[in-house]
Parts: sequence; structure tokens; C-alpha cells
Amino acid sequence: MAAAGSLKPFYIALGAIAVVGGALIARQAMGRGGDRLPSLSAAALPPLPVGPRGVVLGSDSAPVHITEFADFECPWCARFAVLTFPDIRRDLIETGKVQWRFVHFPLDGHQYSPYAHLAAACANDQGKFWPMFDAIYNSQGDWVGASHPDRALRDVAQRVGLDMPRYDDCVKNQTAWPQVLADKAYGDSVGLSGTPTFLIDGHKVEATPTADQLTAIVDSLIRVHAAAPTAAATPAHPAAGRR
Amino acid sequence: MRHRQVVALLALVGVLLSLYLTLFKLGLVGSLQCGTSGDCERVQLGPYGALFGIPVAAIGLAGYLAILATAMVGLQPAWIERPGPTRLLAVFGVGGVLFTAYLTYLEVFRIHAICRWCMGSAAVILLIGVAAVTGLVNRRA
Repeated sequence: MAAAGSLKPFYIALGAIAVVGGALIARQAMGRGGDRLPSLSAAALPPLPVGPRGVVLGSDSAPVHITEFADFECPWCARFAVLTFPDIRRDLIETGKVQWRFVHFPLDGHQYSPYAHLAAACANDQGKFWPMFDAIYNSQGDWVGASHPDRALRDVAQRVGLDMPRYDDCVKNQTAWPQVLADKAYGDSVGLSGTPTFLIDGHKVEATPTADQLTAIVDSLIRVHAAAPTAAATPAHPAAGRR
Repeated sequence: MRHRQVVALLALVGVLLSLYLTLFKLGLVGSLQCGTSGDCERVQLGPYGALFGIPVAAIGLAGYLAILATAMVGLQPAWIERPGPTRLLAVFGVGGVLFTAYLTYLEVFRIHAICRWCMGSAAVILLIGVAAVTGLVNRRA
């Protein structure tokens, strides 16, 4: 009995750890299932056309076209958006070298992602996709894991300066959700294995390039494009063709 | 037998940590609460996240459960004076520390990402190793 008595504090401590730890894990697991998270599904929507889609930044006449398939909850996408994309925007897009296309590609395993993509699509309806894109990625730690990601993203939308009654209506009725689903269908048709994935003038790149790497690729493609008309014209020149 | 109590408490913490990571690996707890660096997901979902097809977190869970069970058995009146549980705990503790050292090496030098949950587990197994070996040394002294 003496041994059992001396073990009492031990068993109390053991029970306390089990209860607190178990409750924390259960809380995390319960959050996944989604009683408190509204469902965003394609079930009620008509079939969507599959084809190049997304939100475009930069000139149509840019010599190089890059498409990014990304998920807002994906940490690698966030790292790229926060650390690399500002340089790309300044050095490649604003200089007219590249037209950038963002395609929504929410991954199936990411429970918070649909909220962010819907919020961004609603911002796109107001012509403010790119400020929302920046803000969503910069605040990823605020809404990923939040008990009410929709509220956290509403705060983001407010900071971006969206027309909030329109935003609320868009989110509530999920009116912009078909944009996301159509983008996702396009990504599925391309055959993506993860995010971010890039199509650089149609060539699929499944790594995350640095700004320097991307600049080097773009510059080399521009040189190829510049040389192409000459190369194409060469065979048409009779003398050149005979050499 | 104080060291068996300490080991049991630490092992329970380890069970909870590895259970959380195992549930994540199985897709049952959504995202890991690990900041926005993505390092935890990179470690857990990368090529080193499993050994012979078994998630490393599940191996850790099995190890911690074995340590917890051994320590609890060692605290029962029929076993409290026997040296077997103390020796077994020392073996588990040292083995766990060596395995964790290998995993930490992978994180730092191969994956180049630090998973804070894994670091928590590493601290727990280190403390278990120290407690278990101390118990063994004190028993022999």
C-alpha cells in the first residue's frame, strides 16, 4: 500500500498529460472533418470547359509566357510568392519580358486552401486579384489552422481594400468558385503532381526556381525567339538554302 | 524506482508527439501546426518520412509505447525490485537516442529542414535515455 500511495502523484501526472495531450490532438483532428467548415464542392455545378485559364499579369505581347499552378495553403508556393515573385514581377513582368498567369490549383489534402482560393477569386471579380494574392500568401500563418479561416481571410480582404458587401456576397454564395474549379480542371488536364508547377512557354517545370534561375531561362528563351525568325527565313533565301 | 516514473511520463509525452505526427502522415489531422516555413511537412512527407515503407512517426510511436509499457510494468509490485525493466529501458533509451541522432542528421544535412515536432521528440528521447541510463548506473552502484 505504501508503494501505491507513493505512486499516486505519478499517476495523477500521467493522467494529466494523457488528458491534455489527447484533447489537443482530438481538437486538431476534429477541425479537419469539417462540421464547422462549409463544404466547397463541384457536385452542384455544371461541367466546366477545360482549357488555359487563370489570372494574367503582364503584357499580351510579352515574348515569354509563364503559367504558375499554385495552392494558397502550400508552404512552397508561399515561399515562392513571398520571396521570389516580387523580383520576378519587377524584373520580368513589369519590363515586358514575361506574361504571368496564375492558375488556382487547391490540393485535395489541404482543408483551408478552398477558402483562400475562393477569397482570391472573389477579389478577382473586383479586379484586385494580385493585391489579394500577395496578402493571402503573406498572411498564410494567420488563416491556415485558424478555427474560422473564412473570418481570417475576410480580415485580409478588408486590409486589401475590397468592397466588403460584394466580397461577403461572393463568398456566401460562392459565385466565384466555378473559376477555381475550372482552373483546377485545367491543372488536372496538364497532369500536375504537386505545387507549385510552372509551364514556361509550354514546358513543364515541377521545381521551384529562384528569381535568378527564372531570369536566366527567360533571357535564353528571348534569345531563342529573337533568333527564330532569322532561322525560319534562312531556308527561304535561295542562296542561303544552297550553302 | 523514480527513474521508471520519469521515463514513463516522458514516454507518454513521446507517444502523444509521435501520435500527432502519425495522424498527420495518415491525413487525419490536416495541416501540422508548424508555422509557415513548411519544414515539418517537408520532413514528414519527403522521401525520408518513411523507413522500409513504414512512416518514421509510426516507428517512433511504437518505440515510445514499448518504453511506456516497460516502465509501467516495472512500476508494478511484482516487478519493482527486478532489474529487467531497468536494463530494458536503458537499451530502449540508448537505441532511441541513436535512432533519433540519425534522423536529426537527415534533417540537418540531407533534407535541410528542421521539424520542430521532431526536435521535441528528440529532446524527449534524450531525456529518456539519460533517465534510463542513470537508473541503470544507480542500480549497479
